[in-house]
Amino acid sequence: MDAAVQTINITKRFGDLTAIDQINLTIDAQEIFGLVGPNGAGKTTLIRMLTTVLQPTEGTAKVAGSDIRRSPNKVRQRIGVVSQAMTLDVELTAWENMELYAKYYSVPNPERRERIKELLGVVGLLERADFTVGSYSGGMKRRLELVRSLVHRPKVLFLDEPTTGLDPQARNAVWDYLRKIHNEQKITIAITTHYLDEAEALCDRVAIVDFGKLVALGTPAELKKKVMGGDVIEAEFTALPDEAFEALKDSDFTIQIGRRDSSLTLLVKNGAEAVPKVVELVNAKSGKISSITLRQPTLDDVFLHFTGRSIREDTAVTRKRFVSSWEGMRR
Amino acid sequence: MRGALWVCERDIRKFIRQPFVMVSALVGPFLMLILLGSAFGGSITHVPIAVVRESEGQFSSTYLDIVRDQQNCAFGGVSCGDAFRLKDVPSLDQAEQMLRQGQVKAAIYIPRGLDNSLSNSINVAITVYLDNTDPLSAAAVSAGLTRAAQQLSTQVRVISAHDPTVTLDTANFYRNVFYIEFMAPGSLVQAIFIASIIGGGISILFDKQRGILEGYLVTPLKQYEIVIGVLLAGVIKAMFSALTMLFLAIVVAGVRPMADATNFVLLLFTLFLTALGLISMMTAFAVRAPAPEVYQFTSFPINLVLYFTSGAIYPIDGFPDWMRQMSVLNPEAYAVHALRLLMYKGASFGAVAIDFAFLAAFTAIMVVIATLAFKRAL
Repeated sequence: MDAAVQTINITKRFGDLTAIDQINLTIDAQEIFGLVGPNGAGKTTLIRMLTTVLQPTEGTAKVAGSDIRRSPNKVRQRIGVVSQAMTLDVELTAWENMELYAKYYSVPNPERRERIKELLGVVGLLERADFTVGSYSGGMKRRLELVRSLVHRPKVLFLDEPTTGLDPQARNAVWDYLRKIHNEQKITIAITTHYLDEAEALCDRVAIVDFGKLVALGTPAELKKKVMGGDVIEAEFTALPDEAFEALKDSDFTIQIGRRDSSLTLLVKNGAEAVPKVVELVNAKSGKISSITLRQPTLDDVFLHFTGRSIREDTAVTRKRFVSSWEGMRR
Repeated sequence: MRGALWVCERDIRKFIRQPFVMVSALVGPFLMLILLGSAFGGSITHVPIAVVRESEGQFSSTYLDIVRDQQNCAFGGVSCGDAFRLKDVPSLDQAEQMLRQGQVKAAIYIPRGLDNSLSNSINVAITVYLDNTDPLSAAAVSAGLTRAAQQLSTQVRVISAHDPTVTLDTANFYRNVFYIEFMAPGSLVQAIFIASIIGGGISILFDKQRGILEGYLVTPLKQYEIVIGVLLAGVIKAMFSALTMLFLAIVVAGVRPMADATNFVLLLFTLFLTALGLISMMTAFAVRAPAPEVYQFTSFPINLVLYFTSGAIYPIDGFPDWMRQMSVLNPEAYAVHALRLLMYKGASFGAVAIDFAFLAAFTAIMVVIATLAFKRAL
């Protein structure tokens, strides 16, 4: 099967600023693909180019079988887009919102009615179909936007930060519906997010974008393995003498170490074996541990590794200098 | 109590930081002062009057000279102008036609034998037919011509040592049209304009801000389809607004337009042209405005200027020159003129052709500008 999206040196410059810099990536048909990066990394610019809103400065992309520069209209007919902003008409009912979109895409009527019914059913809004959208909760609105973008049976669905601003429960619901839609509609989904847990929970493959460049690409598991090959230990200290820190840094089980105030994050080869050694070492240097946890590396750790910063610090535009790549970790 | 100070301080700081609010707070009332003051304070001048002369003697010439020499002054005599502009017309029929088409506001009829009668000390009457659909101009004409008749009587007495009197018969050409009816066409046009501020411009601003306009771009809709769709919806909303205003004017304000199918069709067409032109103008402005506030706070003064210089509330003949020149370029002036003809005079297409021509040109230009502006904003 052909790739759903293939970018070829795609680049976008705004004056002196290079928002997207020579990105080459392929999104396979029917996968859920995540574009991850902090605010300002260029994710939205990339999506806007792939959805034919913006013209690339250089390079191009093939989306759903057509070139975004040469035949944008063919692309438009075959993609669905859920933008970051809420673009529903709150004065209209859910049904009317769906109906108008179906008309924009020239979906003829017996099919139109059935399709709307089916899709509203998928996200559990059929009973509220005749309520105005103004009466909907944030989560319900998102769900409606989700299915509104599917009225014309697109091949590729683009979602720009679909859960930003939703509470955890509503986020989980959106994820569930996305998985369901993915299974039932046989569709490729490309999603941007700055929530790494979201990418991890949803995506088959993830691309990490930072300062307009593609810095890493792979399945969440691959990425974690490629970078880490180990476990993460987090320890809180009531006392952490410098000798203790140096000793941990120089020990043979530590791959990487990051310090932030009175807490340490260590990447180690084998967590279960390393924990007692850490405790032992710290005690020997008269340090005091108040808590210690062992966990699997997450995409946060991956992101940190590749970009040198945590994704949650909104410092996307101002680069800091780091002592080690793990410094400045917030956890 | 000091809390009140901080609350007050916050509001004042925000007020100072928001120049558009400040400017519009001043511009609106100031424009009202200048425009309304000039419109109502100005006296009516240059009223076109047709003259049908069937008596060519000295007395009738004197009468017309007196009329011609009349001055109307405003602002304590600072600005004066000829009150009337006379046009000689060969027959009453032709005068009547000019009156119907709005080319003149009155027709003076000097009957055969007037000079003879006066020479023989016989009382005479001059007749003036008034376009009373413009009550203010009609009143000015009737007052000026009556004064002229009295002056002529005085002069005749001096010369002839007899005392024949010259009286003025005024004949209303139309049924009695009240001032509220005179104002009604302007209200229809203003209903269109306000609908185009709210229904056209502001909803586009919101759509632009909320990303809905961009949302259109990922659909297969063509750009021209989006522009036409937006303008069409604006026109429908504005027409609805204008027709509702017409209905209210008839039912509540007692406005009595002529019940005539052809006129009604022409009236609908006038409203349509006006709506499309104004909607396009405000849409172009809304999509290109540097900030939503600029649009919101500027559209109010624009409304004032267009409305007050349109002749909607006071005849354009009463404007000072600078305002009369503004009304030459004001599409609302042509709309009001055409609507007044169609509603009260039962005018034919020929009478409103010039208005239609201007409105059509204005609308065509605005549609092009709106299309270009909108496409770039998309």
